[in-house]
Amino acid sequence: MMARTLEVIVEQITHETAAIKSFKLVSADRSPLPRFSGGSHITTYLQTETGFIERHYSLTSDPDNTGYYRIAVRRNEDSNGGSIYWHDHVKEGDKISISYPKNYFPLSFQAKRHLFFAAGIGITPFLSMAKELKKKKAPFEIHYAAPSKELCAFYRHLSTFFSEETHFYFSKENKKMSTKLMENQPIGTHVYFCGPEAMIKGFADAAKVIGYSEKSIHFELFTPPKSGPMQPFRVKLNKSNKVIEVPEGKSLLDTLLQLHIDAPYSCKIGGCGSCQLHVLKGEIDHRDFFLTEMEKKESNVILTCVSRAKSGSLVLDL
Amino acid sequence: MSVKTTNQHMIKEIPLIKRFPFPFQKDSYRYSNNARPLESGKLADITPEYFEEIDKKRQILLNHHERAFQSLEHSIDGQWEVLEFLIDELAFIYPEYFSVIKNGHEWTFENKLLDEKHTFTFGDLSTLPYEPLDFIGRHVQEDLIFMGQRDGDLYMDAGQLCFPANWSIAFDIGMTYTEFHSPVPVFFDSGLAKKVLNFLLRIEAGKPWTRLNWTLTVEPILDTFPENFDEWGSKKEKVTSENAGQLVHLRVEDQRLFRMPRRNGILFSIHTHLISLDELKKNEDWLKRFFRVLKDLPDYMAEYKGFSLYKGEIIRYLEKSLTN
Repeated sequence: MMARTLEVIVEQITHETAAIKSFKLVSADRSPLPRFSGGSHITTYLQTETGFIERHYSLTSDPDNTGYYRIAVRRNEDSNGGSIYWHDHVKEGDKISISYPKNYFPLSFQAKRHLFFAAGIGITPFLSMAKELKKKKAPFEIHYAAPSKELCAFYRHLSTFFSEETHFYFSKENKKMSTKLMENQPIGTHVYFCGPEAMIKGFADAAKVIGYSEKSIHFELFTPPKSGPMQPFRVKLNKSNKVIEVPEGKSLLDTLLQLHIDAPYSCKIGGCGSCQLHVLKGEIDHRDFFLTEMEKKESNVILTCVSRAKSGSLVLDL
Repeated sequence: MSVKTTNQHMIKEIPLIKRFPFPFQKDSYRYSNNARPLESGKLADITPEYFEEIDKKRQILLNHHERAFQSLEHSIDGQWEVLEFLIDELAFIYPEYFSVIKNGHEWTFENKLLDEKHTFTFGDLSTLPYEPLDFIGRHVQEDLIFMGQRDGDLYMDAGQLCFPANWSIAFDIGMTYTEFHSPVPVFFDSGLAKKVLNFLLRIEAGKPWTRLNWTLTVEPILDTFPENFDEWGSKKEKVTSENAGQLVHLRVEDQRLFRMPRRNGILFSIHTHLISLDELKKNEDWLKRFFRVLKDLPDYMAEYKGFSLYKGEIIRYLEKSLTN
C-alpha cells in the first residue's frame, strides 16, 4: 500500500547560500500539519515530465510548528535530478505531495549529552534536534564544518538561537573539525554524524576507537553507500516460485518494484531497514548501514535497496 | 455515576452478525505477523454498544483506577499527542457525534452522544480532570496503549485498559515489548516476537496497520482482568455441550497501530467485540470455519488462551449444531 500523503503548497523560497535554497511548505487545505520529532524527514514526490522523483529531506522547522514545514535543498550537479528540479523548476505557489514525517535518525533517550557533527548540508537534521533539546533544557553541542561563513547554510539562525552550543569550522580559515573533539567526554555522551559518506565513516571509525559503544553512535546518510561494483545476480521468490534476474547496476528493490512485486521500502539508501526481507538460501553481500555486525553474521535478512548476492543466487521468502 | 443514554437513537442499529469482525481467513490458526495495512486509516469505531461500554469503562476507572490506567511521568507529552490525534479524528470522521473548537491552545471538545462539553488548555495538565490519555479514552470504546520508542526498543509507557483479555497494564507498565510478550508460547521462543518488534519499530505515520486477535470468554464479560479472575475464571467450569451456545463467546480484538510522529511513539488500540456461539450460528460458513480451526488448534494455544478446560464441550456443541 502506498502511504497516505500530505498535499502542501510552496509558500516561500529562500536563498540560504549560493547553492542551498530552503522551501517553506504549508498545508494545501490549511489544516494543521502533523508535529514531528527532532531528526525527522519527509519524502517529497515531484511529478516531472520523466516520472515521479522521490527524495528525502530533513525538516528544519520547529517540531511543534503545525503551521508550516521547512526543508533545505543543496543543488547537486551530480545528482539524478532531484535537487536540480527543486532548484530550477519548483516555484512559489506550486503544489507538491509529501509523506508524513518519518524519523530514522532519532535522538537517544538514554543519552546524557548529545554531540552533533555536521558537514555542509548535513546540518539539516540537527536543526530540529537542537530545537527539541533546547526546549527540554538537555545539554548538546553542534560542531559544523563548512567552506566559509558565506557558504554556511543557517549560519545566522545558528548564531542567533544556538550561539553557545554551536562551533563553526570554516576550511577557508584553515579550521578543521577534528575527531579529537569526541575524546574525553563524560560517560553517557552520544555522538551523531551527518554529511558525506567519507566524513561519516571517518567519524564513526574514530568514535569506535575512542571507545563509544555501537549504541552511542548515530548517523544519517544522504546517498546510498558506495560499496563496490553492482554485479548481476539471480533471485528466486519462494512463495510465487518466480525467478528474477537483477541486472548489473540496478538494485534488487528497483527490480522487484519494476515487476510490480509489492516489496516494502522507504529510504532506499540502506539506512532505515523498511525493505528488509528474509533470505532462505544463498550468501548475502551486505552493503547497508542498518543491520548490526551481529545481524549481518546471522545473515538471514537482506535490505533489498542496497545489498546483493555475494555470488550466484538468493532464495527470498516472498 | 452513569453516562447519559438518551441519545442512543443517534447510532444506527445493525445486527451484530452483520458487523462482527470474524477473525479466521482459513481453517487453521497459528501465530504469525498477520498485520495488514489499515485501509480506513482511522482508529475509532462507534458501535451500538457505545453507551453501555463507555458506562462500563467509566465505572471500572472510578472503582479500580490503578487496575485500568497506568502511566509513567515521561509519557505525558506522548499522551497529549494521542489526545490531539483522537480529538481531530473524532471531530473529522464523526461530526454528528463530536466537535472541537480550537482557539489557540484553548480547546473545547464536545461529545454530542453523551451531551458533554470540556474546555481545556492544550498542554496544561491542570485544566483536564484526568491525564490526557485517561481523559480521551473515556470517549471511545477502544482501549488505548501508548508505547514509547527509545534506543531501538518499545516500552509500555502509558495505557488505559478496561477490557483486557487476561493481561494487566499494572503489571506490564514500564516493560519492553520483549518483556511483556515473554508469556506468549511459541510466539516468543520461535523468534517471531523479534520479527514483529522489528516491524513495529518501522511503522510510519500516515501508514497505520491492523490485525485481529481472538480468544474465548464465558458469558459476555469485557473486563477479564487477571486482578478479578475470581469473578470470571470459575465460570469456565459451568460450560457443557448443552449450554455452550449461550455461555461461550468468541472474543475478537480489532487491534490497530499508529505512529505518533511528535514523540515517535506507537499508539496501539484494541476494540473488543463479543459474540455468543448461538449468535455466530446465524452465519453457517463462519460456524463451520470456527469448528475446523478449533479442531486443528494445538493444545499450547488453547492452554494460553485459557479455554483448554472446556474446548471438548465446545467441539461437541459445534458437532451437534452443524449436523442439525
